[in-house]
Amino acid sequence: MQSLPLLSPADPARPVAYLQGRAVSLAQFCTHVQAIAQRLPPAGSMLNLCEDRYRFLAAYAAALSVGHAVLLPPSRAEEVVAEVGNAHAGSYRWQDDDVASALAGSQAPLRSQPGIDAQIPVERTVMIGCTSGSTGQPRPYPKLWGSMHASTARNAAAIRRVLGVTDETVPAIVATVPPQHMYGMELSVLLPLIGGMAVHAGRPLFPADIAQALSELPAPRVLISTPLHLRTLVVSSQPFPPTALIVSATAPLDRELAAAVEARLGGRLLEMFGSTETCVIASRLTASGDAWRAHEGVELHPRADGTLVTAPWFAEPVLLQDIVELQGDGQFIVRGRSADMIEVAGKRASLADLTQRLLAVEGVRDAVLFQPQPESVATIRRLAALVVAPGCTAREIRERLSASVDPAFLPRPLRIVDALPRNEVGKLPREQLLAMLQS
Amino acid sequence: MSASQSPAEHELAELIVSALNLEGVAAADIDPEAPLFKTGLGLDSIDALELALEISKRYGFQLRSDDENNIRIFSSLRSLAAHIAQHRVT
Repeated sequence: MQSLPLLSPADPARPVAYLQGRAVSLAQFCTHVQAIAQRLPPAGSMLNLCEDRYRFLAAYAAALSVGHAVLLPPSRAEEVVAEVGNAHAGSYRWQDDDVASALAGSQAPLRSQPGIDAQIPVERTVMIGCTSGSTGQPRPYPKLWGSMHASTARNAAAIRRVLGVTDETVPAIVATVPPQHMYGMELSVLLPLIGGMAVHAGRPLFPADIAQALSELPAPRVLISTPLHLRTLVVSSQPFPPTALIVSATAPLDRELAAAVEARLGGRLLEMFGSTETCVIASRLTASGDAWRAHEGVELHPRADGTLVTAPWFAEPVLLQDIVELQGDGQFIVRGRSADMIEVAGKRASLADLTQRLLAVEGVRDAVLFQPQPESVATIRRLAALVVAPGCTAREIRERLSASVDPAFLPRPLRIVDALPRNEVGKLPREQLLAMLQS
Repeated sequence: MSASQSPAEHELAELIVSALNLEGVAAADIDPEAPLFKTGLGLDSIDALELALEISKRYGFQLRSDDENNIRIFSSLRSLAAHIAQHRVT
């Protein structure tokens, strides 16, 4: 079977990560990976819960080096992690402390060749992304090493093209997204492993944290983030070191915010388009235009119910809910998304699924969930809910719902009403819902 | 419970309720020692970002999280108010 390197390029001296402001070389990284690999069970798959990005990276590479897949639960909530674990026989958890103790025991020099030339078969499942599907069970998306190589090569090329640098340059990455999220995985884990870039170990949240992390890195700096973080960064009065490239994904960014981010950080904003199912498939310089440029090899086929995406590295074509308009030459414009899919802070969910979960809450007789505000970067779009639940308070309903729904999707406001404003065919006109929410 | 909030804590509680659009929560009812996130008021990291912005506008300094995954200063109204009292510029 054909195989591809776990680490590329295999230059032992190249930086892979920045830990407390110091570069970690590929050679040092390999000794850490080996120390972890020696402590893994003989078979199984790793639930990698590390919050420190360097520890995540080392544990991830260790699992792959011994032929294990890595499971990426959609959230860290205990229930969700347990569900994903139960769905995969032989799964085991690795957390920050496990990595720390493995690395503490690895002071002695290991074998002369620390696995820098490790190869992974292209057909091997290296990770399983999980999203919460409409059935309530986390839905798995297995990814093969060959397809991760193909899309990472294109992501790296898109970044280097905008930076105007060759493969010799090692861009230094700060990411505000978790490594367990597919976007964070692609851009903050796979780029250091096989894209010739190096990543900061932290996950900064506030603008001042982001500025501090960026200041610890050499140029060219790359910030991997989301519209949510970028918005707070632009509004804050925090100064930032020059950052050559800012990557945004998980939710649409408008041209105005893109231009504001560029003015603030002094670099270009490259927006990426993708999904857990497809990984990143296109990019655009949002401040300069609306058209996306598909990654080389990606083809889009508009259909009535969305867009069918194909690529030579996909196991099968993927149907996305996005409606696109092809412009020729690999370019396309996104015209909208199927109304059922909603997005809050970069997390996607089905409105129908969330409504079912709300209806399943004890005490709820009828309920509707909707997005009261139009898409806007100026506000964080929380969901709103109107609930018929005699004898219950809004707080009780929200607490019960929180057991089965990601916090980002918990409705706020959640208003208890006597009845929903259903019209004669049972539908709920949006104007009536908004009026009732405001009354 | 309002008796146990200091004036500074009450001012901050009002900022939290208005900035985060917390319906059905009265500023005076926020227990100064209860956790703001997860189990207490049920705030999350989206709220943390939103709140950080409002705090920087009102008090003139940028919040930092020493450990981004364990935001201690956000652990309660009291600890956040104490942090602000220590760092406020305006």
